[in-house]
Amino acid sequence: MQIIVSGLIIGFVYGLAALGLVLIYKTTDIVNFAQGEMAMVTTFMSFVFLTQLGMPYFVSFLLALIFASLFGIAVYQMIMKRVQDSPPLNQMVLTLGLFLVINGIAGLIWGYHPRSYPEAIAGDPYQIGTVFITLNEIFMVGLTFILMLFFFLNFRYAKIGLAMRASSQDTVAAELMGIKVSHVFMSAWAIGSVLGGVAGIMTAPFIFLNTTMMMDVLILAFAGAVIGGFVSLPGAVIGGVIVGVYENLVSYYIAPELKMVYTFILIIVILYVRPQGILGGPKFVKKV
Amino acid sequence: MLNFENVVVQFAGLTAINDLSFDVSEGKIHSIIGPNGAGKTTVFNCISRFYTPNQGSITFSGKDLLKLKPHQVIREGIARSFQNVELFSKMTVMDNLLTGLHPILKRNIFFISLNLPSVRRSEAESRKKAYEVMELLGVRHLANEKVSNLSFGYQKMVDIGRAMMVNPKLLLLDEPVAGMNPVETDQISELILRLKNEMNYTILLIEHDMSLVMKVSDDVTVMNFGQKIAEGTPGEVQNNPVVIEAYLGELDSDVKAD
Amino acid sequence: MKKILENKKLYQLLIILFMLVFPFLVGNSGYFMSLFVTACIFIISAMALNLLVGYGGQISVGQAGFLSAGGYAVAILSHKFGLPIWILLPLAGVITGIISLVIGLPAVRLRGHFLAVATMGFGLSIPQIALNWESLTRGYNGISVMRPQWLSGDLAFFYVIVGTTLVIAWIISNIVKSGMGRAFVAIRDSEIAAQSTGIHVAFYKTMMFVISAFFTGIAGGLYAYWFGYVSPQDFNILTSLLILGMVVVGGLASIPGAVIGAVLFTLIPHFTDKFIGMTNIIIGIAIILIIMYRSEGIVSFLDRLKSPEQDDQVKGGV
Repeated sequence: MQIIVSGLIIGFVYGLAALGLVLIYKTTDIVNFAQGEMAMVTTFMSFVFLTQLGMPYFVSFLLALIFASLFGIAVYQMIMKRVQDSPPLNQMVLTLGLFLVINGIAGLIWGYHPRSYPEAIAGDPYQIGTVFITLNEIFMVGLTFILMLFFFLNFRYAKIGLAMRASSQDTVAAELMGIKVSHVFMSAWAIGSVLGGVAGIMTAPFIFLNTTMMMDVLILAFAGAVIGGFVSLPGAVIGGVIVGVYENLVSYYIAPELKMVYTFILIIVILYVRPQGILGGPKFVKKV
Repeated sequence: MLNFENVVVQFAGLTAINDLSFDVSEGKIHSIIGPNGAGKTTVFNCISRFYTPNQGSITFSGKDLLKLKPHQVIREGIARSFQNVELFSKMTVMDNLLTGLHPILKRNIFFISLNLPSVRRSEAESRKKAYEVMELLGVRHLANEKVSNLSFGYQKMVDIGRAMMVNPKLLLLDEPVAGMNPVETDQISELILRLKNEMNYTILLIEHDMSLVMKVSDDVTVMNFGQKIAEGTPGEVQNNPVVIEAYLGELDSDVKAD
Repeated sequence: MKKILENKKLYQLLIILFMLVFPFLVGNSGYFMSLFVTACIFIISAMALNLLVGYGGQISVGQAGFLSAGGYAVAILSHKFGLPIWILLPLAGVITGIISLVIGLPAVRLRGHFLAVATMGFGLSIPQIALNWESLTRGYNGISVMRPQWLSGDLAFFYVIVGTTLVIAWIISNIVKSGMGRAFVAIRDSEIAAQSTGIHVAFYKTMMFVISAFFTGIAGGLYAYWFGYVSPQDFNILTSLLILGMVVVGGLASIPGAVIGAVLFTLIPHFTDKFIGMTNIIIGIAIILIIMYRSEGIVSFLDRLKSPEQDDQVKGGV
C-alpha cells in the first residue's frame, strides 16, 4: 500500500513534467525533448539561489521559476521560433540537439557529481493507517493538483487557453483573428519550462541534484504523456501518476535496476493496444 | 467487372455513401460525377481499401475486394491516381514511375544487396517501361526532375503515369484534369481514349470537367449526398432533370453542351 | 577539386586508397588506428540509421541499443561456441535484427514523437538488461573478446574493419538504389500512395528497423573485436543522439552525408572530450545550426560545388 501511495506522490510530479511537455505540444505542435534538461538547469539555479546567495527556500523557488519562464522564452525566441514551420522530424531532432547543448553546458558549469537538495517542507513522516506520508509529499501533491487544475481550467475556458488552442490548430487563421501567435507560443514555452522546473525541484530531494538527474525523469514523463495520449492535459497528469505507481511497483517487486526496461514495456504495450493513448482522440485517417 | 452492391459508408454519424449500387463494365470508360461532397472520392477510397463500408459488397471480376488490405489491391489489377496528387514529392519523375511497378519487382533482399544481374536486368526493363509511359504522357523531358518542382498539371500526369505502369485492368482516375489548361485536358482525354481502345483498360473516372466526361465516357453515374441519383449514357444523363437540379446549386461555367 | 567531386568513381577510389594506406600514414599508431576504427564503426551505424530516418522517414533514438546488442552477441557467442569470425559477425547482425523486432513491430503503428519515445526507451533498456542479466552478460564486469589467431594483430584487423565498412557501404547503396530503397522513400513521402502501389507498409517499416539493426549490430561486433571488451556502459543515450546527429548534420538520405557526419562527429570528441560537457555542447550546437539554417545537411554544400547529378539519386533531405 505504501508503495502505491509513494508511487502516486512521485507520479504527480512526473505528471507535472508531462503536463509541461503536453502543453508545449498542444500549443506549438513541437515535442520538447530538452524538457528534462531545462528542468535540471532550473533546479540547479534554485540551488544556486539557495546556497550561493543564501536565500530562503521559497524565495529561491520563486526566483528559479522566474528564471525558468525566461529560459523558456529565450529558447522559443532564439531557436524554436525559427523552425516553427519545419517538418516535425526536424523539430524533434532540434530539441534533441538542445538536450545535448544544455546538458553539456550544465556539465561544464556544475560538473557531474551529485549533491543533496532540501525538501520544500522538512519534517518526519506522519502515519495514516499503514502508510507514511511527509508534509513535503502532501505539499508536492497539492501543488501539482493546483497547477494542473489552474492550467486545465485556463486552457478550457479562459481567453488565453482559447488562443492557445486556436493557434495550435491554424496559425494563419488565428493571426487573422487578432491572436498574436508568437506571443501565445512564447507563453506556452514559458509555462512548460516552469512546470518542468517545479517537477525538477520537487524530485531533487529524492534523486539528488545532478546534471544527469532528469534523464530518467524525462523518459518517465514522456511515458506519462504518451499514456495520457499526448493531447490531453489531465491525461498527462493521469499518465504520470500511472507511471509513478507502476515504476514503484516494479522497483519493489521486481528489480529497481530494471525500471527502464519495464517502463519501455509499458510504453510499448499501451501504444500497441491503443496508439493514441488512454485519453487521446480517435485515430486520424488522412483524407485523400 | 467492378460491382458495388448496396454499399453504405458512415463516419461517426455522417453517412458518406448511402446504399450505392453500380456496375463498371469491362473495357468501358465509366464516369462518376456529382457536386462536391457527393461521396465520389469515398467510392475510390473504398475500392483502394482505405475505408471499409459499413454495409454492402464490392466485387471485382467476382472477387470480394473487401477481403483485401490496401497494398493488395494493385495486385488484382486495380491502380489509381489521386485528387490531390499523392506523389512521392522528393523523388524524381522516373523514380515515382518506377515505384508504380513495385508489385512486379523482385523483393529478395539478398539479391538486392548484392546487385545481382537479375536485379539489374529488372531495373533496366522497368526504366524502359517508365520511359514508354513518359512518352505517352509527354513528360519524357522531365524524367530526372524532382516532382515537387513540377507544375500541378505535370504532377497529375505523373500520378496517372505511375498508375499506368503495371498495365492495370481497372484504372481509377480521380479528377485527372483538375488544374489543367485546355491543351493538357485534351491530351489527357486523348490518352484516356487510347488506353481504352488500344490497351483495353477499363477506366473509372471521377471528374467535374463536363466536356471531358461527355467526350470519353461510355457510362455515367451521378451521385449526390452519397446516393446515386441517375445513371446512363452521357446523353441521357445530361438531359436528366434530377441531375440538372443537383447541379443548379453549383455555378459550373465549364459545362459545355455537347 | 570540383573535377574530382564530379567524377564519382574517382573520389570513391581515392577514399578507398586513403583508408588502405592510413595505418602507414600514422605510423601504425594504436591511438590513431583506434580513432579511425571508431569512425568506421560510426560510419556503418550512421548509414544504417540513415536508411531508417533519411530514406524511411522514421525516427530512432535508440541505435546505441543495437550497437550493444551486436557487441554482446559477438562476445557471448565467441565464448560459448567459439565460432569463426566470418560466421559470428553476420550472426551478431542477425541476432540484433531479431532483437530489433521488439521495437520494429510496434514501430508500424507509431509515428513521430511516439516512435521517438519508444525507441529512446528501447535504447535505455538494453544497457539495463546487460547490467542485470548477469548469468548471460556477467553484468558490470563485462566480457572480454578475443580475436581469431590469424587476425590478432592490429594491422590485420584494421583491414578487416575497413573491408567490412566498404562492403556494407556498397550493400547499403545497392539497397538504396533498388526497388526496396524506393519503397522506403515512398513510405516516407506518402504512405497512402505507397499502399496503392502495392507496398506493404507495415512489412517494410519493420524491415527498415531490422535491416538498420542488422548492420548496426555488425558494427557493434566489430567494436567488440577491436577493443577486445564489451560492457554495459559502452553505448548509451548520448551515443544514440550522436549517431542521429551524424545523419542529420551530414545530410539525410545521402550515403556520403552519413559518412561525413560520422567522420565529423568522431573527430570532434577527439578534441573536445578534454573538457567535460564540451563534446555535447559542440555536437548539440552543430545539430541546432544545421536544422535551423541548412536542413539538407553538410553534404548539400558539396553538392553545390558539383554540377547536377547525372544519375537518378533518390535524394531525401528535409
